[in-house]
Amino acid sequence: MSATSASQPAVGAANESALRVRIRRMRELAANVLANPTTLAGLVVIVGMVGMALLAPWIVEPNSPNASQMPRDWGAIAVPPGSPGHLLGTTNTGGDVLYGVIWGARTSLRLSLIVVTITVAVGVAVGSLAGFRGGRVDEVLMRIVDVFLSIPELIFALAIAAVLGPSFRNIILALAIVFWVKYARIMRAQVMHVKQNEYVDAARVIGDSNWNIYRRDVLPNSITPVVVQATLDMGNIVLVGATLSFIGLAEAGLAEWGVLVSEGQSGISGGRWWASTFPGLMVFLWALAFNLLGDGIRDVLDPKTETR
Amino acid sequence: MTTAPIEAPKTTAPVVASVRDLRVHFKTKAGIVQAVDGVDFDVRDGETLGLVGETGCGKSVTARSFLRLVPMPPGIAVSGSIMFRPRMRCSSCDGAGCSICGNTGRVVSICPACSGAGCDTCEQTGAETVDLLTVPERELRAIRGNRIAMIFQDPGKALNPALTIGKQVAEVFYAHRSDELLTSAGIDPASESLQNYVLRRRASQESRTPENLVLSLPPLRTRRNAISAAADAMVAAALNETQIPNPRAVMDRYPHELSGGMKQRVMIAQALACDPDLLIADEPTTALDVTVQARIIELINELQERHKTAVVYISHDLSLVRKVADRTAVMYAGRIVEVGESDQIFHDPEHPYTRGLIDAIPGASHERGRLAAIEGTVPELIDPEPSCRFSGRCAYAEQVCRSEDPQLEPIDHRQVACFIHHPPDHGVAPTFARTEQ
Repeated sequence: MSATSASQPAVGAANESALRVRIRRMRELAANVLANPTTLAGLVVIVGMVGMALLAPWIVEPNSPNASQMPRDWGAIAVPPGSPGHLLGTTNTGGDVLYGVIWGARTSLRLSLIVVTITVAVGVAVGSLAGFRGGRVDEVLMRIVDVFLSIPELIFALAIAAVLGPSFRNIILALAIVFWVKYARIMRAQVMHVKQNEYVDAARVIGDSNWNIYRRDVLPNSITPVVVQATLDMGNIVLVGATLSFIGLAEAGLAEWGVLVSEGQSGISGGRWWASTFPGLMVFLWALAFNLLGDGIRDVLDPKTETR
Repeated sequence: MTTAPIEAPKTTAPVVASVRDLRVHFKTKAGIVQAVDGVDFDVRDGETLGLVGETGCGKSVTARSFLRLVPMPPGIAVSGSIMFRPRMRCSSCDGAGCSICGNTGRVVSICPACSGAGCDTCEQTGAETVDLLTVPERELRAIRGNRIAMIFQDPGKALNPALTIGKQVAEVFYAHRSDELLTSAGIDPASESLQNYVLRRRASQESRTPENLVLSLPPLRTRRNAISAAADAMVAAALNETQIPNPRAVMDRYPHELSGGMKQRVMIAQALACDPDLLIADEPTTALDVTVQARIIELINELQERHKTAVVYISHDLSLVRKVADRTAVMYAGRIVEVGESDQIFHDPEHPYTRGLIDAIPGASHERGRLAAIEGTVPELIDPEPSCRFSGRCAYAEQVCRSEDPQLEPIDHRQVACFIHHPPDHGVAPTFARTEQ
């Protein structure tokens, strides 16, 4: 593209080149992140898992009427992997392990996306308000956050889910209630730090409103650690979610890894390892992959931060 | 402007801003620090006022008070007043400069309370007067960047690293020139239609997500883009004025891709974009290479001449202030000790501290060897007793200097706060003679 000169202010030209610059930068950033082999490995696993989740209906025929329930084959109870029609075997109650593994990815993706979206939104909003306003607002909000943080997250989530009753929806709700405080903390610290920068004063000096200062100067410069934490939490939330459903806080027979591990655990001592191992492996891979990616993103975006 | 009338001497020009008894206190663990402790000075139209002093003497805090930028906390109280008299474009010459406006292109805006007759709010001057320390936040925002602008010390820190130069400079136009943006985008700013309401909000950067969504849809999209293009054109013109080569390309750059000098040019472009009455330059060249310094100073001077802007130039570099400032105010430990014409102050300093400062400038005429320095250190400003703040380091100090506050009082065309020049009612008055014998 030819250089746009100052004498011909074409409407599209300036915007287009800005867009190009932005795309180039995103590409550079992606290249930097993927230059690390472990990060790349993490991303490959994530792409595989997410692909599996999205394509589940085409890989394994959905159970009807409720696709998120594992189908029961009462004619093939606890058959080993490789049996006809049951590639990864079945559970003690005839649940198809392959179905649980693949549709479980869908459940996990749904769980982690919903919870991360809610917690990031709430946490960023609360943390920003506390950090940007400071004073009494900060004091009140952070004491609330402290209350939430004083209870171990797994036990807290367990308590909430137990009170609300056993269902997967309540697990989502419980995790959302527990996890937002982390983001509020991170965001508050970031905002308090960023708002002391001179460019915030400089924006104030040209007469910008508080909202515009927050949106253009504070938010973009403080969001990085939140992005990193959100990536890590995509893994952690599935881990905690699987724990809760393992304990029995999800509907019985749900196509979910924790439920499947729970169903298979009684068979392990009898040598029927498959029903627990495959979903367990999936949880492990999922959490590992997001942790690798999160660390990789942190190394590129936020080189100063030590591993927490 | 071929028939330039004889310009009135700058020292008698009308006052743009007058600072009276400005006090800024900070709360620290050790106690309350009186960082600025009763500062008085005037800034006159079109002049450059140099504000000099050592690090920590309160010059930056004073400057920041103009735009209410003193952080609270740790700041706990700002008192006194900073009266600002905003000026308007002269209607008879439309800013070109004529005899009515004294060739400045601007006239004093009339006090709305008394329509120029003179009342208490305008201190009988008839000119619109705003106390920058008490004006409501909303009105202050209309002044910031528009009537008063500021340049910061380190341009590397004063630019948002996450925004392109073009977007950052455009902010100032969105904040203060939305009507012009609309007009040049072919939209009538006065029209009351719903469409225009949204576009108007966009042009002043008040539109929120739902409105932005509407604006990104085809019917309004081209108009939205026209507003952005108008802003871009204004930004390019502003950057061009500070001699940035190829402004359109620079606008797509991020701050870290520019050199320090370029960044400072961007800051200056943004500061002068709305043609302010007063520019506060807080050590604008301290963070730059010496070779770039000279060019930035030239640029500020040149633009000041063109825009007829008053400049408060803060620096600890005396030789620099001597060159750029019409008048100089010397600050020490939160107070002004001497203020007057720069030539006079630098040739014939009257306050012992000013003398010490000027002697401490290493010059080519000095012989090699030890550099001159003022003995002692700046006193702590935690709950100070009444005294001349400099008495601890002053070679001429007498008892009275340690127990009473010297006031800033006039002597031949300047003001000095020292008992040598206006002896106290009682006690032994200090004189320069004592150690000069």
